[in-house]
Amino acid sequence: MLITGIKSKPVYAPLQTDTRGRYHLMLAMGAGAAPLLRVIAEMRVVAGPSLKNTRVLFVSDAAAPEVEQFKAATVADLQTFPSTPALLERFRAILQKSLMGTRLYVAGPESFIGLAMKIALEFNLNKDEIRAEECGTLARRVYCIHCRATTEDVRTNIVSCIGCGRWLLVRDHYSRRLAAYMGVMVDAEAPGELPPLKEVFL
Amino acid sequence: MNDAQTITVEVIGVEQVTPLIKHFKLAPAAGGSLPVFSGGSHIIVVMQGAGRVHKNPYSLLGSPLALDTYEIGVRRMEESRGGSHFMHDAVEVGSRLEIAHPVNLFGLDKIARKHVLIAGGIGITPFLAQLEDLHGGSVPYELHYSVRSSEHAAFLQRLQRREGERLHVYYDSEGQTIAFETLLATQPLGTHVYVCGPVGMIKHVIATAQSCGWPDSHIHWEQFSAPPVGDAFEVFLARSKLSVHVPPDQSLLESIEAAGVEVPYLCRGGVCGFCHTRVLELDGELVHNDHFLSEADKAKAKSIMPCVSRANCKRLVLDL
Repeated sequence: MLITGIKSKPVYAPLQTDTRGRYHLMLAMGAGAAPLLRVIAEMRVVAGPSLKNTRVLFVSDAAAPEVEQFKAATVADLQTFPSTPALLERFRAILQKSLMGTRLYVAGPESFIGLAMKIALEFNLNKDEIRAEECGTLARRVYCIHCRATTEDVRTNIVSCIGCGRWLLVRDHYSRRLAAYMGVMVDAEAPGELPPLKEVFL
Repeated sequence: MNDAQTITVEVIGVEQVTPLIKHFKLAPAAGGSLPVFSGGSHIIVVMQGAGRVHKNPYSLLGSPLALDTYEIGVRRMEESRGGSHFMHDAVEVGSRLEIAHPVNLFGLDKIARKHVLIAGGIGITPFLAQLEDLHGGSVPYELHYSVRSSEHAAFLQRLQRREGERLHVYYDSEGQTIAFETLLATQPLGTHVYVCGPVGMIKHVIATAQSCGWPDSHIHWEQFSAPPVGDAFEVFLARSKLSVHVPPDQSLLESIEAAGVEVPYLCRGGVCGFCHTRVLELDGELVHNDHFLSEADKAKAKSIMPCVSRANCKRLVLDL
């Protein structure tokens, strides 16, 4: 079964300012703050000190040192959230009211990027409107192709599905719509014969 | 595409809809249905003129659900090389024409959240068929239609009847203009803009959308260039071992076809890239008139779109 070398696996690149955008919406989780701070510094060089069309949503403790750094960078609108779902809910509400000319910047673990992209896709944002930089854990969201449950935070090559308990092989086959990698029953042909469990997505 | 794949149609209706535009209805001469198409498609009409063949692209403007006839609108071009004059002067009910299968280079984005359609003059034609696709759907859209004056507003009644408030008409004669900046700066995320009309209008819409921060993937346009006239030149076709003369008022593609060599094509208007041909030798310069090659590729002079482009040269050798 093909595990790697699959084209749907997303490719990320270091964030860069898109000066053609009129509004800049930035999402970060954890270590994702650093790339955003870098982009904001870049923008200030190009656009001057006014960052009035720039908005940052950040999953973090309100007391985290990065919060002070964002404030020091005088971002017009900085909001912190206790969890990814809370941030995504706000993100969706913002997209409802956003105009053409908006650019999205996402930085954080791949699962965070994937969930943000999934919502962006619903609003028909295309590749040329989104930039994403991966930083943090490589843990995957894994979609069970048998029972359709999604198992979160998967760090191992095989995983027991949270929905049906089947042992799933985690493939590189990625769905943007589901924001998850596909998991396929690993011992369907020889029940009970499992490959050694290994931590691979750290 | 070549002539062996054309369909013979009979003209079953001709109507002068404005002083410059005629509306033609075409039915398959052999009976039955015409090929399925989607809104924004065009056909190539092959016209047997006096001493030469014209092949012009025209957008299909009828409903994609009504396949017993195709409808096209033809504007009489002031600087016609013959095609539009032939359609206006020599084609009448009962005339037979050859057409190529429809091709769509101007389709609607299937997952757009809103469509903004902008038409100038005869540029309304591809939108008429797209509106048929949009009409029953749930995706919001609006049409901005700019015309010289009320007598030049082709298909206006049909649009008014069906589109109501979604239609915005602007009359040059009344000094009305589309406020592009306001229009494009206020569209919700996920909107796509489509423009068809005079080249100046297309360039202005693209530039305004870009300055409002629109990414290229949300900007769509279509303009078929008529092959411009130029100085006569000679071309040598390396694989066919043929020397071909290109007269001032005939395109490179037409001249090559007249010499009996087939070149694949779809649009004949410098848009689709199908007739892309390698240049093997050149002593002089190419005159690129297409919208397909990038500026960098045009500068390299290693390829040419013979449907609309020419050369000022002593010698040109093509890989044909």
